[in-house]
Amino acid sequence: MSPLFVILNYTAWFIFVYIAVVWLLVLLQRRPELYDRPDEPTPLPGVTVLIPAYNEEHHLADTIRSVLSLDYPKKSLSVIVINDCSTDTTGKIAEEFVKTGRVTVLHNKTNKGKAASLNYGIEQVTTELLVCIDADSTVDSKALRVMVGHFRDSTVGSVTPALNVMNKKNLLEKIQHAEYILNAFMRKMLAFLDAVHVTPGVFSVYRTDAIRKIGGFAEHNLTEDMEIALRLHDNGYKITNEFSACSYTVCPSRWSELFRQRIRWYRGAIRNSIQYRRMFFNPRYGNLGMFMMPLNFLSILAVFGLLGTLLWNITTDSIQAIWHLSLVNWDIWNMLFNPNLELMLFSLYSTPLLFGALGVGLAAYLLRTSFHITNKRQLVSRPIYLIYLVLFPLILMVFWAVALMLELLRAPARW
Amino acid sequence: MQREKQLNARLLVTALIIAALLFGAGLVAGFTISRERVSDLEEDVRDVIRDVQNFQLQFLFFDVLGDNATCPLLADTILSINQKSFQISEKLAVFESGSEIKDEATYTTLKQDYSRLLIGYWLLANKLQQACHSDVKTVIYFYENTCDLCADQAFVLNYLKQEYPDTVLIFTLDGRLEEASVKTIKEYYHVDSFPTLIIDGVPYPGFQSLETLKETIGLE
Repeated sequence: MSPLFVILNYTAWFIFVYIAVVWLLVLLQRRPELYDRPDEPTPLPGVTVLIPAYNEEHHLADTIRSVLSLDYPKKSLSVIVINDCSTDTTGKIAEEFVKTGRVTVLHNKTNKGKAASLNYGIEQVTTELLVCIDADSTVDSKALRVMVGHFRDSTVGSVTPALNVMNKKNLLEKIQHAEYILNAFMRKMLAFLDAVHVTPGVFSVYRTDAIRKIGGFAEHNLTEDMEIALRLHDNGYKITNEFSACSYTVCPSRWSELFRQRIRWYRGAIRNSIQYRRMFFNPRYGNLGMFMMPLNFLSILAVFGLLGTLLWNITTDSIQAIWHLSLVNWDIWNMLFNPNLELMLFSLYSTPLLFGALGVGLAAYLLRTSFHITNKRQLVSRPIYLIYLVLFPLILMVFWAVALMLELLRAPARW
Repeated sequence: MQREKQLNARLLVTALIIAALLFGAGLVAGFTISRERVSDLEEDVRDVIRDVQNFQLQFLFFDVLGDNATCPLLADTILSINQKSFQISEKLAVFESGSEIKDEATYTTLKQDYSRLLIGYWLLANKLQQACHSDVKTVIYFYENTCDLCADQAFVLNYLKQEYPDTVLIFTLDGRLEEASVKTIKEYYHVDSFPTLIIDGVPYPGFQSLETLKETIGLE
């Protein structure tokens, strides 16, 4: 094995172990505060929920209803739907809700994209707080009440919820269910470190003043929810997380949809990281600059390295195996029926595999902790989640590689 | 709104130290595994050494029991030795190509011991061929770590061994090993490139395909 592979292997595992240890230390230190919540302010602040919608005729009504059912004084909660020039009945459906007296509908004359729609909506906001939610998502009725208390700290610019998936039927959806739960845990840990780098567009609450002050959402950005988070940090604001506030979004149910979604996310992340590169290893940006952003970046590199060398090894081994078979007249029979078990066991008992096992073990522990803390049900048996821990990251890394390539080639990006 | 961003320096550094410790523990564990594998191999080698000594002893039976009784006994013993020693060769190959930290000194000693064992065994096999006119064929396979065709040659020999377990005896020697007996044989047969096979005392430099081998050895 080349020394390069060995170094790459060990460095990658070190990075993961480090990140996992940070999470676990934060958890250890702040466990008592996990379910703490700031007291509700009296009176409860006014909140406007912005729902940008483009061709969401199947989901919009449920979203609006879910928002209107929030346990919050009716006079303090209003909704603005921004119809981004939909070609289906989205606009009509939105208009239906105007008669409730709590919903306003804005119509874009041309399709402007989510960020621009949000900014249009923000122009009409007069309340202290504003919330963004996707038109295909829903929210727990108790969510808003438990989130507003965070804003009593005047340095808080945004509060993030615990995001879950709505659809959990097929294998891919169940895998994402686990992923979102792990992310909810990590977001809580990040909140303890004030290093939350994304305010998900599914029921993140913002301080209206703060958003106005920093100039609203970035309109030509692939992932405006990450960009606004970084910009909030840049302007000195804190971003917190409310664990008990649950929102639900539809996740891709097919691999092709997942691919498109992740390519957009990852290209967006690459662009935002470049835009905010001055945060990397900059103590002025605290844990975000010294830990979250650099390690996020390094861990992607590490898995690239591992995946690359793994694929390289598999390819060269396969080529060699085929070549070898040709030398013995393709007698596969012999190979299949005389496996040398003792030899196989002997070759498995090795250091790289040991590190691999430790890494997976640590990740499994983190996943289990996430499930435990969020009190969510495991939908599939544990072995399947173990497969998720090993195979899914590899698949996502392939997506990262594609995203990186597309960025380097300056290919045009679509939402 | 300019304020210092939260930086838990102590936590981040503590995590670094813990991670380094965990990582170090992993490396130590890896090293231990490596050592255990070597001692596992050493035991296998000692096992075979005992068998070879037993084999040497059995040669003395010639004087007492004569050819007819002794030859079948010797033939049996040599085959069981070959099975075991071939397994050791394979394990060594796996170990050598593995990407872990090895204790170089112990490992080199093991290889030297093992090579001496193989050569002693090869010499006895030759004696057996002469004394009993057995149709056992001996193949010495000289390899080196960096040679391109050695993996191919090893694979073909492995296959041959599985096809003719009772007829072909294969002795795998690292041609670059610093060991007197290995060097002696190398010089005797003028081995200067790898892979080189010595089939029944005749050197064949370069890669030998399956067909060539079968022909040369006179099989099937």
